[in-house]
Amino acid sequence: MKLKHSLFTRRQFLNGLLGGWLAAFFGSLIHPVLKFIFPPYREPEEVVLNYSEFEGMSPNSVKYFSWGSKPGIVQRKEDGSFQVFVGVCTHLDCNVTYLPEQKKFFCACHEGWYDENGMNIGGPPPAPLRRLEMFIEGENLIIKREGGK
Amino acid sequence: MGKLDLGNWLDERLGLKLISRFLKEKKVPLHRHTPWYYTGSAILLFFTIQVITGFMLLFYYKPTLELANKSVAQIMNEVPLGWIIRSIHSWSASFMIACVFIHLIGIWLAKSYRKPREMTWLSGVILLLISLAFGFTGYLLPWDELSLSATKVGTDIPRSIPVVGIWVTKLLRGGEDVTQDTLTRFFGLHVSVLPIFAFLLIALHVYFIQKHGMSVPVEIEIKNEKPNELPFWPNFVYREMIVWLLLFGVLISVSILFPPSLGEEADLMAPAPEGIKPEWYFLFLFQTLKIFPAKILGVEGETVAIILILIAVLLFALLPFLDNKPAERKGKFVSLIAYLVILYALFMSIWSLM
Repeated sequence: MKLKHSLFTRRQFLNGLLGGWLAAFFGSLIHPVLKFIFPPYREPEEVVLNYSEFEGMSPNSVKYFSWGSKPGIVQRKEDGSFQVFVGVCTHLDCNVTYLPEQKKFFCACHEGWYDENGMNIGGPPPAPLRRLEMFIEGENLIIKREGGK
Repeated sequence: MGKLDLGNWLDERLGLKLISRFLKEKKVPLHRHTPWYYTGSAILLFFTIQVITGFMLLFYYKPTLELANKSVAQIMNEVPLGWIIRSIHSWSASFMIACVFIHLIGIWLAKSYRKPREMTWLSGVILLLISLAFGFTGYLLPWDELSLSATKVGTDIPRSIPVVGIWVTKLLRGGEDVTQDTLTRFFGLHVSVLPIFAFLLIALHVYFIQKHGMSVPVEIEIKNEKPNELPFWPNFVYREMIVWLLLFGVLISVSILFPPSLGEEADLMAPAPEGIKPEWYFLFLFQTLKIFPAKILGVEGETVAIILILIAVLLFALLPFLDNKPAERKGKFVSLIAYLVILYALFMSIWSLM
């Protein structure tokens, strides 16, 4: 179908072209700026610790290490086995503490509770503590992301 | 209807129509020297780029002896696109100062500073000094060997001025020597003190220009015929946008092709590296100081040099009051001085590089 009249004037067309071009130009500038402002979070691939420092941990105790910029927690359970967590509450990112008497992890910010296996059992936390995997290789205690072997 | 209402609603509260009416009526004279008018807005373009990239660098830069150099290295090596943001900041500074010089030469030769534009000139002179201060303080921030040496030399120069000099040096350094306090001061000046004054003076400068309208060069004015005019909005702005786009393209290209280097971390106890040079826009001053002999008639050569330079700056700032002839006079002598100053600066700069 051929229209008798054009839908917009020549001026509207040129203004739209110029405006659209300007918008595209500034849009293309925003991308690198955003990229610069938001650096990617670099979580460590793995953290290598000295196993001898953890070997002698008494049952029902924890030890902290640096998992990138977050605290990591190595926990020795009653039965002598180890578990490793990222020691950050899943609610609003506060660092949690372990209370050996109660065998619970506790977040003081909003009274969040996790049991000794890191399951969220009370207060606002929506998910269990994040787990990490650990391997003992000779002298070294190697801690990796879960599933990242 | 809705659109119109919003416009009226805003205008009642902000008085925007005053500005839009002004912009509609503003005219730019059209003659063969019109391209000089672009130099001012080119400065504003680069200044805006400096502000934006400066904000961005501030997100990562850390002004301490331990971290200054490392944080710049982090910007160059780790932050996504950090190297190009720093490169743009560094190059845009040079481009801006180059435009400031070109702007200045145009105004000098056209005698645009004459009555009633004396204050426009004075505010421009202060803006020139602020631009150079931006360059000088920014040069120290990467805290590498070169920037430390350049700052030591630069802050030591005022010491030769009798009586007050030593205090200027102490004021700049925050003590006897270049230390952490100097870095803190320069950082504060660069990101806070100078920007506030720059914004204030740019506002004044632009206001003065609007108050008096665009100056027409003497040689056009003495023909005594009214030159053609171009509406500022949108005709002239569109032309300016073309210039901005070209300059932006050149800026991005050189920034990608020639990113600035980052030297070894500065060590306050280490000997100065060889071949220290200031930024290119200080070279002619650097060379001027270098050629003065140790003693002139029993007075320290450097003292003589600095006093001469200060006198020159003062005369330069007072140019509209020294050359206060009516606007029709050509002022060939003033032009001659301008050409001599340009020749001198070029000659000294090239000499200092040899």
